[in-house]
Amino acid sequence: MIAIILLFSACNEDLLNPIPRTTFSEAVVFDSPEKADQLLNGLYATLIAGQFYGSRYIIYNDIRAEDFINRTTNGVTGLATWQHTLVSTTNEVQNLWSVAYLLINRANIFMQGVAENADKVGGQEKVIQYQAQARFLRGLAYFSLLQLYARPYADNNGSHPGLPLRVQPELDNANNALARSTVAEVYAQILEDLNFAEQNLNAENGSALKNTTMAHRNTAIALKTRVYLAMRQYGNVISEANKIVSQTAPFIADSGVNHSLQEDIADVFAPPYTGPESIFSAPFTEMALPGTQNGLGSYYNPGPRGNGDYSLNMDNGIFTLEVFEKENDARSEWMFENQSNGLSYLNKFPRGPQHLDYAPIIRYAEVLLNLSEALVQSGGDQSRALELLNAVRTRSNPEGAYSGFASTEAFMEALLLERRLEFIGEGLRSFDLMRTLSTIPGKENVQAIPPSSPNYIWPISGVELLTNSLMTPNN
Amino acid sequence: MKKTLLLFLMALSVQVGLHAQNRSVQGQVFSSEDGEGLPGVNVFVKGTTIGTVTDIDGKFGISVPSGQNELSFSFIGFVTKTVKLTASDFVELTMDPDTETLGEVIVVGYGAQSKRSVTGAISSVSGEKIVNAPVQSFDQALQGRVAGVNILTPNGVLNNPPVIRVRGVNSLSLSSYPLIVIDGVPTFSDSDGTGGGLSFNSAANNPLGNINPADILSVEVLKDAAAAAIYGSRASNGVILITTKRGEQGSSKVTFDSWVGRTEPVRLFDLLNAEEYMMIKNEARENAGQEKAFFPYLDNNNRPVDTNWYDVVLRNGIAHNQNLGISGGNTKTNYYFSTGYTRQEGIIQRNDFERINGRLNIDHKVFERFTVGATMNYTNAINRAPNTGSLPGQTFNTSGLGRLPLVSAPNVPVFLNDGSYNITPNNQLGPANNTVQSGFTNAAPILDLNRMSSVNNHLMGSVYGDVKLIEGLNFRTTYGIDRLSIEDQTFYSKIHGDGFSNGGQADNLFRSLNRWNLQNTLNYNTGLGELLDINFLVGNEQQYTQDERWGARRTVIADDFFDSYQGNFTTIIPLGNIQTENYLASFFARANFNMAGKYLLSMNARRDGFSAFAAGNKFGNFWGASAGYILSEESFWKNSALSSTLDYFRLRASYGLVGNNGVNNFASLGLYGTGLYGPDPTIIYTQPSNPNLTWETSKKTDFGINFSMLDNRIEGEVTWYNNLVDGLILPVPQAPSKGVPGSPGNMTGSGSIDTNIGSMMNRGIEMAVTYKAIQSRNFSWDINLNFSTLKNEVTALATEDSQILTATSLETVNITKVGHSVGSLYVVETRGVNPENGRRIFVKRGANGEETLVQYDHLGTGWTTLDGQPTSQPTQNADGIIMGPVLPTWFGGIDNTFRYGNFDLGVFVQFSGGNYIYNGTKAGLRDMRFWNNHKDVLDRWTPENPNGSIPRVVYTDNISNGSAFPISENVEKGDFIRVRNLMLGYTLPSNLTQRLKISNARLYGQVQNSFLFTRYSGSDPEISTNGNNPTAAGVDRNSIGQARTFTLGINIGI
Repeated sequence: MIAIILLFSACNEDLLNPIPRTTFSEAVVFDSPEKADQLLNGLYATLIAGQFYGSRYIIYNDIRAEDFINRTTNGVTGLATWQHTLVSTTNEVQNLWSVAYLLINRANIFMQGVAENADKVGGQEKVIQYQAQARFLRGLAYFSLLQLYARPYADNNGSHPGLPLRVQPELDNANNALARSTVAEVYAQILEDLNFAEQNLNAENGSALKNTTMAHRNTAIALKTRVYLAMRQYGNVISEANKIVSQTAPFIADSGVNHSLQEDIADVFAPPYTGPESIFSAPFTEMALPGTQNGLGSYYNPGPRGNGDYSLNMDNGIFTLEVFEKENDARSEWMFENQSNGLSYLNKFPRGPQHLDYAPIIRYAEVLLNLSEALVQSGGDQSRALELLNAVRTRSNPEGAYSGFASTEAFMEALLLERRLEFIGEGLRSFDLMRTLSTIPGKENVQAIPPSSPNYIWPISGVELLTNSLMTPNN
Repeated sequence: MKKTLLLFLMALSVQVGLHAQNRSVQGQVFSSEDGEGLPGVNVFVKGTTIGTVTDIDGKFGISVPSGQNELSFSFIGFVTKTVKLTASDFVELTMDPDTETLGEVIVVGYGAQSKRSVTGAISSVSGEKIVNAPVQSFDQALQGRVAGVNILTPNGVLNNPPVIRVRGVNSLSLSSYPLIVIDGVPTFSDSDGTGGGLSFNSAANNPLGNINPADILSVEVLKDAAAAAIYGSRASNGVILITTKRGEQGSSKVTFDSWVGRTEPVRLFDLLNAEEYMMIKNEARENAGQEKAFFPYLDNNNRPVDTNWYDVVLRNGIAHNQNLGISGGNTKTNYYFSTGYTRQEGIIQRNDFERINGRLNIDHKVFERFTVGATMNYTNAINRAPNTGSLPGQTFNTSGLGRLPLVSAPNVPVFLNDGSYNITPNNQLGPANNTVQSGFTNAAPILDLNRMSSVNNHLMGSVYGDVKLIEGLNFRTTYGIDRLSIEDQTFYSKIHGDGFSNGGQADNLFRSLNRWNLQNTLNYNTGLGELLDINFLVGNEQQYTQDERWGARRTVIADDFFDSYQGNFTTIIPLGNIQTENYLASFFARANFNMAGKYLLSMNARRDGFSAFAAGNKFGNFWGASAGYILSEESFWKNSALSSTLDYFRLRASYGLVGNNGVNNFASLGLYGTGLYGPDPTIIYTQPSNPNLTWETSKKTDFGINFSMLDNRIEGEVTWYNNLVDGLILPVPQAPSKGVPGSPGNMTGSGSIDTNIGSMMNRGIEMAVTYKAIQSRNFSWDINLNFSTLKNEVTALATEDSQILTATSLETVNITKVGHSVGSLYVVETRGVNPENGRRIFVKRGANGEETLVQYDHLGTGWTTLDGQPTSQPTQNADGIIMGPVLPTWFGGIDNTFRYGNFDLGVFVQFSGGNYIYNGTKAGLRDMRFWNNHKDVLDRWTPENPNGSIPRVVYTDNISNGSAFPISENVEKGDFIRVRNLMLGYTLPSNLTQRLKISNARLYGQVQNSFLFTRYSGSDPEISTNGNNPTAAGVDRNSIGQARTFTLGINIGI
């Protein structure tokens, strides 16, 4: 009898339905404001993943161009990007695509989740703020994807194929097939997201750290100046920039977070990294590092502070050009002569071997130069344009002020060179080349890539082509 | 050995009655097996209780009362004989082994059964075949020994789990590793790990290495549904049952087994020497329009350095193994106690395995109807290894020791002339006089300064009680535990290698796997005399498993003085925290019918509830049925001419449905992981919910015959099997733009969603034959042959044209697609080298398969058609061809045992073939970056050598030879014949052993992995860079091949 009981009563219901103790079930993640805050942090963490703004996205946009020389011929650290031999299955092509869309989907899920649980996460107003944050990040993700995977907007006003526009949460097997929207359509979505963000983000986030590492109103405005510049809508660049740039020097954002140029450029890239110039940066701590073979310093610092994957191009790189006056320019500190191999390395993110330097995403200096360029291109206030350029330039090179330019072309050339110098290692070089439809210059034995070349932009992720039946390749 | 066994079985005592003495008869009993005297035979005067037992030489003396004239001889495992006494007072007779009983009771799920009545497909390997093998875990020693079971050694790293495939690959995304059950309790195996076993560092850790092979009495492999369905949801990959030794009634028995061996690397690549290297690479530089960059470095004696990096990384290792077993018993109690110690050095420097274990198995009859027993094993095993780069996922590790000897420049030294390591401050191998990078890292400091270990403390045990309720009806309860604690330690110096980027690093990770298993069974035997035997079994099993891991990583070492986690570092972060559990509750039943010894029928069923599946999908039903018909028992057979040659002939068929529950413990739930953003906590969507996820089910069909002929000299079986796996869980790839997360907790994206969709077939024939080719008193030759075929085909996936691509780290070679074998190779076809210009010719394919030949000119004109028009590059997606299968289509082994007098010789040959291998290592060996090359690169195209087999060398060319994407040039056939083991033994003659006061002793020498015959150009056709991954087999990328081991050993019985 005991035997019979033992045999047939034996199944423990509790053990059969275990609840995970270290991960959250989807049923509970939206049930408190604290969890919603952490979910929002999770979106930011996705943005600054090593494959994305944690370093690699920034790095790819520099090493495609001419200011760096590959030293390790390591396929894992951007060799194919550097030498323009990318194929649809190259790791960086697939990984960047995936992580950017991972952020987009997580943002979409978050937006839906907070909307459906408004009462639990803090009310409708809070929901709108969360959604503004998510839309800022989604806009940034789409904008970033466009810069590598699609023809520049400048090429025929965005009529080329852009990206699949995913604006709904994807939680199951459905909806693999989605065709590419045009570049212009994607830009329209980006602007819609950023406008929503601007209107609904907080004016400021309560601490210097949060003002640098989470979006506030001025962050969205600053990003819009970059977006409109890519679209060559100079009037819009000016009107956006004017919201956060005073008419006259010293230039400052007088509403929201009071952004300004920091006096000493070195302070911008030194702890605590949260000065008024750093509009948006990726934070790192010992507990949350960019990861192995990620981190700006990993690529640009020689050992033992980094892996030294890229040294400065001392044949035709920016530090060999006239715009850079080594003796007078504080930015000469960005050059590091490595005694052990005689090569020069970028010293902008010097901390290592742990790469704790924040990765800059948007700086106030860029907004000033964006505005300056828009003024030049649109025939606006040329003296203000000059003042803006000089504000950035003379901060580091007090003797280097330009007195004026003979032509728009000359002004533009000076602006682009200043940007190339000021933002080296910050991922704007490829952007500047492509939005102006310029040839990507060659370096060492790597040939130049004209805008007509299929290699001018990246191939589409091979997995995407395989799984999305409506997806089209880039060449 | 046979004699040893017999002594075990010696009956304790026989009543000896004293009667009126009439006649004293002496005699000797021999075994027909080896012609030796047979000890322990019961000798009775027929019809009386007068009896005795034969002594160690088989001799006996007995008093036969007057009027009695027959002696009966009986002994377990031998056919009982009766002898009529003649005038002589000396009786000599030979007894024959009874194949019906000895060794023919085999273990089945939750019980044992006579082999001849078993109708499921079960193969058995005796412990003798395993005990002396110089391996770390018993599964490695099963290679080639079991029909239908393909086992391969994926690399030369010690205690790396072998890849075991019972009748092919039976899952695409779950483990294809069989269920391993030890004395009734399922244990942990590679399927609980992440590749390379259960460790999280480079010290491979196969938990099956915690079982001392010397403790194993037999291994049974359950292959078809009829045999395995009693294990229900865990049976899809087959089940391996391990039975450990137990004591037998009789006097105490001591066995001592010992061997010592030397292990050496074999089949290393013929790499360019320093001079050739400089010539090739400088030529490549010139062809790329660059200056020469490679120049000799002179050592302190002014001789140019020519470094063989293999010498730095590899070695000849020493290994030894000692086992002591003591067993015995009486009518109430029997015991088996053993202890073992082994220490083995691998062919890779600092790769060591050490194990110490103790086991106690005991059974005690408390009352006539009540028996209790216990098994208890404790093992402490230490695996140590450097970063071998040979475990799954490590393929392209820049400090992997499998890869470093292949890529490091030979014209630079290991140490500079001042004695310091030749390294750069950039964590690279120093270029010496070369002007460009000349290696990834320097292997020497990595070996000297870094260390990794994985230590197991493993307690396996069970207790049981067995009550006979009524005659034939037994209730048995068994409670087993399996507690495995694993401590993984990693230390990376900051000076060079993997620890460099963290300024020195130490990881300690602790994992505790905790399992309890409770089984209750009722077993009823009944029957109707000779007409019908019936056996019923019903039971319940519950199993709960907890898997908890925690650890931390310390980085930025305070001082190079420290070399452990406990030293001083400036930072610490948590590492590898996991807390998970699963539970299985089951009910099962079996019924066996044996009618008139001719008609056999067996049915079994199991209902399993498993915690990992979603509510509503937790329970599944599984069943199997089989039938056998022993034709040779029929009178028409016995009367026919056939019976004179075919002694035994049986038809057998089985069908059933079993499952695979090897999913993650929370696979069905929608999950959010956690992390940090700057200083703040995060919650991150990591896993889509999967409410429909459920078992994979295999429908297994078998038809077979068993036979024995020529007086049982030939015995064998032939089986046709067909295994249809349905509801395969596929990680259905999602468009990356959907943003579905990749593996939990990380930021990779491009995830997939596990879905029960897809089906696959494994079909083939397996054959096992034993043949006593020669049997004479002084010479015998036994042949044990097994041979299997396998055809694997994926018959359905998510959609007709779905394809699953499985990556080998950074490279993707395997494709799983409907109509092809699982994990076939997906490559761009190449057609050699264009003799006009030395460029590799690739084949592009249009929408309808029309071919366009294109060629590649690195850093020059790039991709052009043969007439020079620019074109786009070929890609796997657009132009790839599928080559396969990667699973051997035929394989098996022949084990020959020769005995001459006291000598025995074993020749064990394993063979396998019909498969293709992607030799990715070859792509690396021809890569035109700084990497060193195989000597075959010397035959590169030059204007003077227009028929060269290697494309014109151009510096940094990583495309022409397959580093950028896989090409057909690197696909090779994997056929091989391997002399797996040669063993020569000598058994000490009994007069000598008697003088030494021992019962038997045997000395032997053996060579493991003696010879390999293959046309495969890589180091070993068995390499599996991706370990057990079911969809990524057949890839050879930078893994170190198997060793050859010479051992000398002794087996002693006292």
